[in-house]
Amino acid sequence: MEILANLAHGFAVALEPMNLLWCFLGVFFGTIVGILPGLGPSATVALLLPLATQMSPTGGIIMMAGIYYGAKYGGSTTSILLNVPGESSSVVTCIDGFEMARRGRAGPALGIAAIASFVAGTVGVVLLMLIAPPVADFALRFGPPEYFALMALGLSMVVLLAGKSMLKALISMFVGLWLATIGIDMFTDIPRYTLDRIELMDGVSFVVVAIGTFAIGEVLANLTSESGGQKFEVPKGLRNLMPNWQDLKDSRFAFLNGSLVGFFVGVLPGAGSTIASFVSYGIEKAVSKHPEKFGKGAVEGVAAPEAANNSETGGALVPLLTLGIPGSGTTAILLAAFILWGLRPGPLLIQDHPELFWGLVASMYIGNVMLLIFNLPLVPVFAQILRLPAYVLYPIILGVSMVGVYSIDQRLLDTWLVAFFGLLGYLMRKMEYPAAPLILGIVLGDLMENAVRQSLMMSRGEISILYSRPLALTMLILAAAVLVGPMFRRIAGWRVKVIEQEA
Amino acid sequence: MKHRLKMLAGSALVAAALGAAPVHAYTPDRTIEFMVHSGPGAGNDVFARSVQGVLGKLKILPQTVQVVNKTGGGGLVAMSYLAEKKGEANPLAVFTSVWFVNPQVRKEAKVTMSDLTPIARLVLEPAVLTVSADSPYKTVKDFIEAAKKNPGTLKQSGGSLTSRDNNTRFLLMKATGTNWQFISMKSGGERVAALLGGHVDMYMMEPAEALEQIRAGKIRVLATLMNKRIPALPDVATLQEQGYKVPEIPQARGFVGPPAMPKGARAYWEGVFTKMHDSPLWKDFLKENYYEDGFLIGPGFEKFSNEYTQQMRGILKEAGIKLVR
Repeated sequence: MEILANLAHGFAVALEPMNLLWCFLGVFFGTIVGILPGLGPSATVALLLPLATQMSPTGGIIMMAGIYYGAKYGGSTTSILLNVPGESSSVVTCIDGFEMARRGRAGPALGIAAIASFVAGTVGVVLLMLIAPPVADFALRFGPPEYFALMALGLSMVVLLAGKSMLKALISMFVGLWLATIGIDMFTDIPRYTLDRIELMDGVSFVVVAIGTFAIGEVLANLTSESGGQKFEVPKGLRNLMPNWQDLKDSRFAFLNGSLVGFFVGVLPGAGSTIASFVSYGIEKAVSKHPEKFGKGAVEGVAAPEAANNSETGGALVPLLTLGIPGSGTTAILLAAFILWGLRPGPLLIQDHPELFWGLVASMYIGNVMLLIFNLPLVPVFAQILRLPAYVLYPIILGVSMVGVYSIDQRLLDTWLVAFFGLLGYLMRKMEYPAAPLILGIVLGDLMENAVRQSLMMSRGEISILYSRPLALTMLILAAAVLVGPMFRRIAGWRVKVIEQEA
Repeated sequence: MKHRLKMLAGSALVAAALGAAPVHAYTPDRTIEFMVHSGPGAGNDVFARSVQGVLGKLKILPQTVQVVNKTGGGGLVAMSYLAEKKGEANPLAVFTSVWFVNPQVRKEAKVTMSDLTPIARLVLEPAVLTVSADSPYKTVKDFIEAAKKNPGTLKQSGGSLTSRDNNTRFLLMKATGTNWQFISMKSGGERVAALLGGHVDMYMMEPAEALEQIRAGKIRVLATLMNKRIPALPDVATLQEQGYKVPEIPQARGFVGPPAMPKGARAYWEGVFTKMHDSPLWKDFLKENYYEDGFLIGPGFEKFSNEYTQQMRGILKEAGIKLVR
């Protein structure tokens, strides 16, 4: 009951005309930066930091959070239409989203992404509101061994991302893991594969690799193909541009799966939304009745990762607001904003500043509704982009990719790197190596290496630390199940055949 | 001490104003850039933005200030970018201890602190030794005794090998003949979370990192790592008071400019920061963030810069880290 009273109070705060305006501006800018690849929510929030610190803390945090979750909505747009991941967390959305577009279903893909984002964004806020403090305590139980197990679980998803050849998927993943080792090694302070270049000391940004292998690789492959490039069919009529009942029915479980996975991974300070989207995609495919459709335009393959990366926002706010610990780039800037206002999030924030916490929660409900209202009508508009002829579309993709990559750190080297990875992506396509495992490897490699080395330092080289803690063990068993699952399915498949033959 | 500093600062200003060589007065004629070497949200980014805020409220500057993030290479990217602006008056950069340390240990570095134009040292960050509230260690002695009983098993979370926390650990281990593990973690958030979750036994941090956790009683402060007690934590004794001969390792923040900045411009910036330092707004900022006033300009800053470089070289060498220059 107390929660309802608090929430009512929160709505009173969030519905004040000025706060409503800040919320609108936040989600509006968020959608735009989400659509633009490279320019992410953290850069935008940082850009608006001077403005926000002039505002009241409540209005400011409402606006900045709006940018944060609004960007997650927009991130799917270029993934689906152009195979250019708009945000790091939208890489997974490219896999089935772009395939849907290729099959003339760009509209339904964009629509389902918006709906999944809305459902999961709302679930994320509900969970943030109801269980923030206990969940924060749960997150603290994650030490290095647990992170290692989580990363192992994430990496096991490679068997679900593999196309025809498991070997090729594994090779692709190992190249990703190797790329993740580039840079200064945190534990010994020794540079690895940096070629004595200062720019490589922090490693290769995985957004560069993702945009290169996905977007530029795709463009190159199309340019050299017989037909001279893609010409997607865009069906006429509004009905064909929206998801139908069957799509929604197929995505029911994906909404739930993505919402929960996203939230709980989001709560962990050392994980991140990219892992959430990979894991939820993996779960979706593992439990699906028709896993063969994944990678060929399965609507669940769009719904699950989009749901995950949206409810992740609610999760990521938990350690920030209850512990004062930021878990991601964007929440680190939100923390900076709090400090500049003279506030310090921590265990006492919710009781000391209820209007701020509950106002934010209420504004997130409102913001998610705003986002749905403003993204759904955009779907048919955006879908028209695919009508553009190849000689217009490809230069746009290349330009957007280059500008996007440069805008991350304003480094010229990154534009060369993206060209290099574009070439790699092209060769991988020609030789039928899947690109998603490469991204999986580069995202998880760094975190996993840190976790395993931290664990072994904690135990002084005793390897049992990795599986002797119950939480870690549970996740490792899950990872093993994911790895051997396809084998069982194959055996079950033989059995059916044998029985059929016998009959 | 403080009076002397102020007088020094004052005389530097007068000297600059009356300087024998013709000094051209400088006023910024375009957007002022404050460069930081880390991404938005990191400690020195917040610091730069706070200074930006205070200067904005004081209305000392004729132009707006913009914070520019030049990340990479632990400060080396920002340093070489600043060096490219040789002779210019405008981009200023926030320096931290990394700016002194990294050029000593990275052969890729092309620029050192002595190449840049010193403007002002503004704050000193204190550090404290902390454990989680449910830890069995109530004093530093408890911790050291436990470390003696089981050498190499206790764990401290921290940053990189060249960071202050690892150097202080090294000095404390040497002073007590003990040893324990140092577990590097990427972000301050992860280090605090590891302490709160009981995955490590101890963490040396700047009190501002987990102020609220300290206030809520979730983190216990066992010692101040400075030579003097921190005014905001008057009950916490220093390491030396508790009988451990470990010298403090200062960690300073402030501003530097491009190499060979024109004299007039340097005097202008020194004047700006002197005015800011004297304002009540700045005093409030220092207090809120548990910073120690570390204001130094002119020769005082240069002296600090040289001595600190030498001190860090000594500590790094002792800690077994290879120096490249």
